[in-house]
Amino acid sequence: MRLSHGFVRGETLSCIYHGWSYAQAGNCLRIPAHPALTPPDTIRVVTQPVEDGGGIIWIPAGEPAAGPPRFDGLAPLRSMMVEAGIAALETAAGTKAAEGLLDYTHAGRTVRLLLTLEGKARTLMHVLVDQDSNPTERIAASRAAEALRRAAEHVAASGTAR
Amino acid sequence: MTRNAMIDEWYPVGLASQLDAHGRKTALMGEPIEVRLGEDGNAKVTGGNGRVLRACIRYGHVWASLGDPQKPLFAIPEADQPGRRLVDVGVVRVRCSPLRAVENFLDIAHFPFVHTDILGAEPHTEVQNYKVEIREDEDEVWATQVQFYQPQAAKSAEGGITTQYMYRVPAPTCSILYKTCPPRPGEWDVITLFVQPLAEDLCDVWPWMALFDDETPMTDLIHFQQTIFVQDRSILENQIPGLLPLDPGMEIPTRADLTSVAYRRWLKRHGYTYGAQLVAQ
Amino acid sequence: MKLYDYVLSPSCYKVRLMAALTGVALDIRPVDFHPGGEHRGPELLALNPAGSIPILEDGDLVLTESSAMLVYLAAKAAPQWLGNDAAGPAARVQQWLSFSHRLTASLGAARLHEMLLRPGNIDALRGQGTAALRELEAGLVEQRIRGQRFLASDRPTVADIACFPYVALAPDGGVLLDPYPAIRLWSRAIRAIDGFIEMPGIHRLHELKPEPVLGGGEA
Repeated sequence: MRLSHGFVRGETLSCIYHGWSYAQAGNCLRIPAHPALTPPDTIRVVTQPVEDGGGIIWIPAGEPAAGPPRFDGLAPLRSMMVEAGIAALETAAGTKAAEGLLDYTHAGRTVRLLLTLEGKARTLMHVLVDQDSNPTERIAASRAAEALRRAAEHVAASGTAR
Repeated sequence: MTRNAMIDEWYPVGLASQLDAHGRKTALMGEPIEVRLGEDGNAKVTGGNGRVLRACIRYGHVWASLGDPQKPLFAIPEADQPGRRLVDVGVVRVRCSPLRAVENFLDIAHFPFVHTDILGAEPHTEVQNYKVEIREDEDEVWATQVQFYQPQAAKSAEGGITTQYMYRVPAPTCSILYKTCPPRPGEWDVITLFVQPLAEDLCDVWPWMALFDDETPMTDLIHFQQTIFVQDRSILENQIPGLLPLDPGMEIPTRADLTSVAYRRWLKRHGYTYGAQLVAQ
Repeated sequence: MKLYDYVLSPSCYKVRLMAALTGVALDIRPVDFHPGGEHRGPELLALNPAGSIPILEDGDLVLTESSAMLVYLAAKAAPQWLGNDAAGPAARVQQWLSFSHRLTASLGAARLHEMLLRPGNIDALRGQGTAALRELEAGLVEQRIRGQRFLASDRPTVADIACFPYVALAPDGGVLLDPYPAIRLWSRAIRAIDGFIEMPGIHRLHELKPEPVLGGGEA
């Protein structure tokens, strides 16, 4: 059973199916069917280091020497799944991604997109805006990101990514 | 293994009450089949190439086999007791292994978390020891002396009671639950899970019941059981791995899982592997 | 007030949920929708010739559209659920009430196809459902930017109840909610409302209950 369906009480994550609870280190704390049992240390789930870098949640691939990048002056706005690869996003934006960031200018405003490839033709796109943007500007940025997604998916569907 | 042993078993393929001459297209273990009312009044089930399959009508359902069953369909003697209400709960499709559907039915430890305030509730989560055996004469898996605290064990139950259970697996994709019958102490309610394997990872589930309950309207009985099963459905569709592992190593059983352990052992012994995986992947 | 109800119907659940949240007692009349097809029988067709459920009956008022039932319950018992009557918020409530029918026609039909074997073009239904979820996600993102957690304001309204069930049950039809973080936050916010009730397929938030102290011997 996927633990993402489970629930968090205090500092423990519990499975929705049988309520087995796990500590942050991944060890099983509690098996409700056997309340008197102390779960053996061999019962554990795989854990993943995570870091919150300026509102963006990062997990490492391998053992990186440094912490996650920081995007000074930018604030994360929303995350979106795009049914297209990075090349199609670049074609739609008319720019190339540099260090994982793609700039997209729409109606005179620029949004910055942090891209993570989720599969061959699927990209998780995190939308970043100037941290001092007001709500109207943030809504415009969110809509610009929607427009970019539509364009990129059109590119991907018609096979015109360069 | 040269032949899938599950080919020669019986499977539910439709409700007897919905049988008509027009027929219904469905599938059995990957093979398209058609279920209709024959001119002689019996169920007629045809396979992919038009061949006529063995079929019978029992326990509210049409049963069929792709192969050559050596035994008649398993008996549920209680189902023929006078005074029982027979409840056709109707089909629910689930994107899961048919064996996973049965295994989940045999499990009680999930009641407080999945059937909260109906079949279980925190803090009453403990599973007491019970007995499990593979009965060699009948060639069935049995779990007896199972008990669990339930806030609302049945539509006819008022308030929480400690419910007694017996589980029986007479066929690889069928299980029968005998459960405390609130209006008639001394008798057991019969609640079954009949599973039609469409593919190794897809099944149609046909719950059926034979209850002593003269009070509750039929529709309430149907809705109670549909509620329970659909609460399980999202769990079943998110099991990992999708196929039921028959070899130890992938999942960690505890004492509460002894029925599942025996079920898996019995499946493996018979080569009932449609919907199973043998080697941990 | 009498509700002709099917326990697995998300549209019926909207009415049960709204009644629970507004403190209205319903007289539930269960309908054998599946497998019996009772909604297409003479008794129910006499009430609702369209052959759909829910049906809400109160005196000589008979309602057959779930959005109207939500408005009726709210207006009678808890008008704050109707939302603010200023032009913008009032229009937003109507916008999402109308939008909710697209969820029924796409995600709801996909669920009926996958779960209860009803006919339908599953790929088309999932595509339409995904398009609707993207619109809802964008709408919720914009609301959060405005500092509002729900569809029409910072408190839940009939619009949220109209949209919530088919969205929460989208996985039943094979449409996953993983790509929609704003929808998942909103779903949690709805499930955390005082008086929330669940339906099969929508699990409650167990985290709202404290960890029980287990000492054995409970059973």
